Amino acid sequence: MTTPLDLGLRAQAAAVAAGDVEPGELLDATLTRLEERNPALNAVVETFPERSREMLAAAPEGPLRGVPVVIKDEWPLPWRAQRFGAAELMAPTAPGESGPYRALRDAGAVIVGVGNMHELGAGSTGNVSVYGPARNPWDTERCPGGSSSGPAASVAGRLVAAAVGADGLGSVRFPAAYCGLTGLKPTFGRSAMEGHHMAPVTSLIVSGPLCADAGDCRLLGSVLYGEQLGAGDAAGLRIGIVRDPVSEDVTPEVGAACEAAIEALRAETGGEVREIALPDLEAATLAAILIINSESMGGVTPERLNRLDPELSPIARGTLKYRMMLPATATVQSSRVRTLMRRRLATLFEQVDVIAWPTVPAPAPPLDAPMVELPSGVNTADQANVRGAALANLTGIPSISMPVGLSSEGLPLALQLQAAWGGDELLLDAAEALERANGRRWVESLPPLAEASPTEV
Amino acid sequence: MEGTAPADEFIPAGLASLGIEADEVDLAVIGAVHQLLWPPILELLALDTEGVVPERCPDLSKAPE
Repeated sequence: MTTPLDLGLRAQAAAVAAGDVEPGELLDATLTRLEERNPALNAVVETFPERSREMLAAAPEGPLRGVPVVIKDEWPLPWRAQRFGAAELMAPTAPGESGPYRALRDAGAVIVGVGNMHELGAGSTGNVSVYGPARNPWDTERCPGGSSSGPAASVAGRLVAAAVGADGLGSVRFPAAYCGLTGLKPTFGRSAMEGHHMAPVTSLIVSGPLCADAGDCRLLGSVLYGEQLGAGDAAGLRIGIVRDPVSEDVTPEVGAACEAAIEALRAETGGEVREIALPDLEAATLAAILIINSESMGGVTPERLNRLDPELSPIARGTLKYRMMLPATATVQSSRVRTLMRRRLATLFEQVDVIAWPTVPAPAPPLDAPMVELPSGVNTADQANVRGAALANLTGIPSISMPVGLSSEGLPLALQLQAAWGGDELLLDAAEALERANGRRWVESLPPLAEASPTEV
Repeated sequence: MEGTAPADEFIPAGLASLGIEADEVDLAVIGAVHQLLWPPILELLALDTEGVVPERCPDLSKAPE
């Protein structure tokens, strides 16, 4: 039996708007479901029922009126400073009205909890956090993806219908891929970022929606963008593919699922597939890493690094100290590589509408050993994942991850599409076309945990 | 591996020159990260970008000028 809790974001919002669901009951039922399911997932690290009820009482007649959502531990709320999944941040934080908070509030949404995240946003797996690891609803011994681990696990586990994440090097797209969701990394600057502790300095991080499907991402995205993301049909879509390790050094199941999805998308849109060349992707990946590392260290002194909170993970402590020693010339070179790649992409996007490759080269690895086995050998998931994601952050283009299958172990597989600057709507159109092509099979697949014991409203 | 051999000198010297304290665990992590990042950093520095005129304050929400 389907309860309103199991509906997607659009359907929940429509049910509340039509009076079919009483929003106070929906909120209470959501909190009950959180109590039931969250212990297995550690997706939501804090709830505040009274604050949520206050938001509901004051909710305007917006597109998300009365709909519970989760927000990543990356933005302040008026009653809570972000912790960034860590015992200590490298920038000052305080409670306040962040851009995503204001966007949600003004849309009538009810923030029902804060989502777990990978410590300091510095991992694609979600297995390291001051709150303990979040877990993947498809297999709770597997990584949910990071750094937006909790937002993704909370949607995949149907704790809520939608969540707000952030993406600096793939942090919306990785957990979307691991958890079988649709996740949108907006064009840089289009989505709300105010209040983020790195907002004044970052040239890579954006807020983005994590939802069950592209239509829900369009709805939550419109709220975060502060503008309606219009719908089209992606007719005649020109799909670029790259013969490079990013698309070929992947598990056979990932490769097959993505190839099938690309062909299905081509057929559905009456489009074409074109092989394109995009050299220096490895340099682009490193450039993005170096730039975000540099931006994250602004204002950090050696003395500060000598009194790090002992609760920070050893990886974070060592990495922060290493970042201090990175050569400035490499960051300057990274800026040149950014320019190089932006110009190359501008030329490529005259020939194709989207560039397609797997979001991640392998499905979610075990929490206790986040390694992946690829044709090139065994690698850390972080090292393998980032090469497919960093280009969009480095250059500012939008990108979307969508589910395209399940592995033999029952874990989600995902395809990523990237478009030219401002092509966010086209990505949503293309994702919806793919959903039509495969009969919405993958966006409607539920993990075993989410199929169990529906909570009544 | 090229670039990692001098790590025994580079890491302690770099930390000392900055006045950053590091215990054994820190050094192990730093060594691992260095081994991972330094070779591609050298490759990045060797990439010929002489003809690339960097964008001045690029607007990342738009295509380059």
